[in-house]
Amino acid sequence: MAMRQTPLTCSGHTRPVVDLAFSGITPYGYFLISACKGAGQHLPALSGQRYGKPMLRQGDTGDWIGTFLGHKGAVWGATLNKDASKAATAAADFTAKVWDAVSGDELMTLAHKHIVKTVDFTQDSNYLLTGGQDKLLRIYDLNKPEAEPKEISGHTSGIKKALWCSEDKQILSADDKTVRLWDHATMTEVKSLNFNMSVSSMEYIPEGEILVITYGRSIAFHSAVSLDPIKSFEAPATINSASLHPEKEFLVAGGEDFKLYKYDYNSGEELESYKGHFGPIHCVRFSPDGELYASGSEDGTLRLWQTVVGKTYGLWKCVLPEEDSAELAKPKLGFPETTEEELEEMTSENSDCIYSSTPDVKA
Amino acid sequence: MQTPVTIPVPVLRLPRGPDGFSRGFAPDGRRAPLKPEVPQIQECPIAQESLESQEQRARAALRERYLRSLLAMVGRQVSFTLHEGVRVAAHFGATDLDVANFYVSQLQTPIGVQAEALLRCSDIISYTFKP
Repeated sequence: MAMRQTPLTCSGHTRPVVDLAFSGITPYGYFLISACKGAGQHLPALSGQRYGKPMLRQGDTGDWIGTFLGHKGAVWGATLNKDASKAATAAADFTAKVWDAVSGDELMTLAHKHIVKTVDFTQDSNYLLTGGQDKLLRIYDLNKPEAEPKEISGHTSGIKKALWCSEDKQILSADDKTVRLWDHATMTEVKSLNFNMSVSSMEYIPEGEILVITYGRSIAFHSAVSLDPIKSFEAPATINSASLHPEKEFLVAGGEDFKLYKYDYNSGEELESYKGHFGPIHCVRFSPDGELYASGSEDGTLRLWQTVVGKTYGLWKCVLPEEDSAELAKPKLGFPETTEEELEEMTSENSDCIYSSTPDVKA
Repeated sequence: MQTPVTIPVPVLRLPRGPDGFSRGFAPDGRRAPLKPEVPQIQECPIAQESLESQEQRARAALRERYLRSLLAMVGRQVSFTLHEGVRVAAHFGATDLDVANFYVSQLQTPIGVQAEALLRCSDIISYTFKP
């Protein structure tokens, strides 16, 4: 009996989820932070305010851990450091904030001159890179928060994404039409790529120094060291975000047609596609162990999807072939925390899912 | 177009959402013990808790850490120290429910490399790996 993907919907944001990031794998598992454009309605006392509320979740289950309160505008970017001890967020209130990800307390507020869009920690968590509408890259020394950040100028339009790469010796940054590579020590531009269409997202894979760039319907892979192109695929619709599996076997992408696509990285073959979101997908990322991927959408939800459908992992429970097939008509485990409506919603959401290949999903 | 007959993957439950009245980050949450507490006057909410349940919580926390250490080992190169001064290295695959056997692959032994093997945990004195 073939298995159908059951995405896990993480509720809590009611406004569009615009960014998400995973931590590395820590002794406590791995974690997920998500950023949304506006008010999270789960706190009645603050429901009148339109502030973005970044949330921390357990990465393999999607269970909510806490909400970072303090920003006074939409939160455009969120990230965790490698061991998930710190979080950083970028917001429309012209600040980036650094948080203690264990206690939820705000550690520092870094004032900028315009909307901040992107934040990234170095591997050792000593520096934070920020970028935004003021077209400047800033490097903050987190051990000296009062000191002025180092600034790198050169972008001619607002910075959408900025990432450390090559063991934090270089910086990659994307604005609307260019992707630029900078040397950290000299703070100068090393190389740049120009695009005819708006760059929607960028992901950096340290193992193999691969850069994933999406623009229009294209998902492109470049060397993060030289920016030379490696390969690219075309999707059926405009793509807003894509992520490469840690073992580089698959990639997932999502965009304006509300669907998630999974491709074989080596052949470019479309393996699976899923409907489920009720709005464009803004961000998608593989977990650090590659067992699941998370998508954030305009519909205000974060969803978790299995890389190998039917495997026991996190909240998903494998059904063994020896078990009585008569009981397999519907999920047979008790759902003490779900109502009938939630069960209905859970199963009916999958009724339109489309497989483009046979149900035997490649491992 | 005929879709194949499929059943949805069963789930244990849905992800837990915000509790609706706090910002979360429970002080007794799973990560709290590892973070060194800033010395401060402790309120005594746990004064009433019996020694037994404190111990049980400590045991549960240690057990969870051990299980997570096993998870972290999957796919990694691990060095095992066995009896009689024998040392072997292998890629860790899995353990059974009682942690009585380790399933490993590419086991490097003094008499050659074994593609797949089961190591009895009772034979292992210690093991080490780099995460």
